[in-house]
Amino acid sequence: MTGVCINYHVLILFSNGLQRVLLLVASDVDALCACKILQALFQCDHVQYTLVPVSGWQELETAFLEHKDQFKYFVLINCGANIDLLEVLQPEEDTFFFVCDTHRPINVVNVYNDMQIKLLVKPDDDLNVPAYDEIFRDDEEEEEDSGNESDGSEPSGKRKRFEEAVVERTMKRRERRVWEARRQEILFDYEQYEYHGTSSAIVMFDLAWKMSKDLNDMLWWAIVGLTDQWVQDKITQMKYVTDIGILQRHVSRHNHRNEDEENSLSIDCMRIAFEYDLRLALYQHWSLYESLCNTCYTSASLKLWSVQGQKRLQEFLAEMGLPLKQVKQKFNSMDMALKENLRDMIEESANKFGMKDLRVQTFSIHFGFKNKFLASDIVYATASLMENIEKEEPGTASFIKALDSLSRSNLEKLYHGLELAKKQLRAIQQTVASCICTNLVISQGPFLYCCLMEGTPDVKLFSRPVSLCLLSKYLLKSFVCSTKNKRCKLLPLIVAAPMDVEQGTVIMVGIPPETESSDKKNFFGRAFEKAAESTHSRTLHNHFDMSIIELKTEDRSKFLDALISLLS
Amino acid sequence: MFCERAVELVRELRRATDGSLPAFSEDGIRQVLEEMKALYEQNQADVNEAKSGRGNLISTIKFRHCSLLRNRRCIIAYLYDRLLRIRALRWEYGSILPNALRFHMSAEEMEWFNRYKKSLATYMRSLGGEEGLDVTQDMKPPKSLYIEVRCLKDYGEFEIEDGTTILLKKNSQHFLPRWKCEQLIRQGILEHVLS
Repeated sequence: MTGVCINYHVLILFSNGLQRVLLLVASDVDALCACKILQALFQCDHVQYTLVPVSGWQELETAFLEHKDQFKYFVLINCGANIDLLEVLQPEEDTFFFVCDTHRPINVVNVYNDMQIKLLVKPDDDLNVPAYDEIFRDDEEEEEDSGNESDGSEPSGKRKRFEEAVVERTMKRRERRVWEARRQEILFDYEQYEYHGTSSAIVMFDLAWKMSKDLNDMLWWAIVGLTDQWVQDKITQMKYVTDIGILQRHVSRHNHRNEDEENSLSIDCMRIAFEYDLRLALYQHWSLYESLCNTCYTSASLKLWSVQGQKRLQEFLAEMGLPLKQVKQKFNSMDMALKENLRDMIEESANKFGMKDLRVQTFSIHFGFKNKFLASDIVYATASLMENIEKEEPGTASFIKALDSLSRSNLEKLYHGLELAKKQLRAIQQTVASCICTNLVISQGPFLYCCLMEGTPDVKLFSRPVSLCLLSKYLLKSFVCSTKNKRCKLLPLIVAAPMDVEQGTVIMVGIPPETESSDKKNFFGRAFEKAAESTHSRTLHNHFDMSIIELKTEDRSKFLDALISLLS
Repeated sequence: MFCERAVELVRELRRATDGSLPAFSEDGIRQVLEEMKALYEQNQADVNEAKSGRGNLISTIKFRHCSLLRNRRCIIAYLYDRLLRIRALRWEYGSILPNALRFHMSAEEMEWFNRYKKSLATYMRSLGGEEGLDVTQDMKPPKSLYIEVRCLKDYGEFEIEDGTTILLKKNSQHFLPRWKCEQLIRQGILEHVLS
């Protein structure tokens, strides 16, 4: 493992402007942002590249097969770190992979292969990789040793020597067995939990910064990448705040102009500002009321799915002294006088209603007179563009649209994304409410389980991994708030949704328990694998997240039974 | 009225703005030529009569002759303007024209196009040392050598100058030398991505 910067230089050196590079980018917002930054760097350095979107292992393999004759250098963004790449792809010896992936744990073979696989990770990321000697052992040495033993024996004490050799060999074999068992144990401990490391966009931005090629645009993409991890609940609050702190230093370095009269900037220039803003989804582009209703945090805390909850919302608004008419109209058109210290006002009242973390550290972008976005706005818009189900088109087309929406010149795409995101949030909220009201979340012992039926509204939206994950997180949060059973509050959740009716498959996702001190580590990846193995269920581990699987509908019950017995 | 058809031909070209090439109006040309032939024959007959002393025919003859000349001017203008457009096509589409355009050209125009192509190629080969120089590229100085393009159709493998091939698959994005993709952009296979 070498530093990020060195690896990039290796890539530039190797490619030398003559060799083309293939970028394989996974379909999540963080990967898109990292890809944007890398594209900008490649354009500076005149590195010719081809970008191919991949949404799962299968697509990654086909893309590799299609391009392996033309390319020697592959850059994988947010995919590929958590399996043995060399074994899966069977590349030629002169093929090189540069992997920038947030998925942890990184496969140990990838970590210790210095020749063909270069990992782009931040040096301060704690990988906890087991030591080399504990998991690898040079077998040839072993054989040579035993060979010498038998050859070098002298005829005089042959028998004795022979016995000694036998004893020694059995000792060695036993030692080896012990070592083998220990290795299994270490690997199990290492691979048991799935989690996410530093955002790829930040890693890429770090790289650009170290080469003094960082721009304000790149910084914004890094911010969006980090915010995506936070919105998707992939990292702990601690990690989020730490990374925000790192990015804030860059933000003040890039945006110190325009602070006084002398250094004024044109209004069209892009400015990034640190904000301590409300964590209401899209509220600046929606109405405050809609945003309060459809944000997971507020709706779960106020229990908006019940009648009492609705009453509590009215009380909450009354407490703030905001007239309903103002609250229900577009945020942009709200009375200026009300907006002035809205944030403080809302925070104060929210504290009384037990919502202590309604404000969160984030960044906003500002350009032109009317374009102002919070980082989370962009994340929601881009993510819903990527999983747009309105038109029947291949995933790659949606990927391209999402990629476009990240550049400032494509505002109409971004606004379209915002509209889609509103629909998505509404759909999630309604589904969560109906699941909780009809008690669809069942405790199965070691975990909670919820299955969306074919035919419920918006069920098609939840056949996509990111939307389904978002739904599960919202559902679990709401369930934890609604249930009185203390044990249930500490359980993880599995959600299943129909994926393809014709083929009879369901998509299943497992998420870690929702507790204050949650480390966001997910053990479902391995558990799913084990359960599928023991029941011979027809499953497909296609997603880069191991905790999302596709499963034949008929196999679902036996798979779940196996999972229960495995985990309890 | 005389010359109406001929003026119609010129108008037709004028209506087709932005340099597009309408179908060659063989029918129109034939009608104009027939009209010219009729005019000429009538004039011929009247001239013979005028020679024999009917002076009052002179003005009619003059009028017919003017119409003849106008018809000729119109046809020449029609053909010449088409020629200019065809020449522009070579610079825009390269040496191989799309089929739709080829059907719009007459056989003579086709032949002229081929000859023009040849002489342009000979000229380009004579420039810039051994390899020649493609003067149809970069008519305006480019901002960068490489551009970002997106593939709109499944095109298949595409070979670049240095012998490497790349796979142009729908919705893939590439960073390529500008001059390699200009052709494909015009053909609608690639799209230039502006960031």
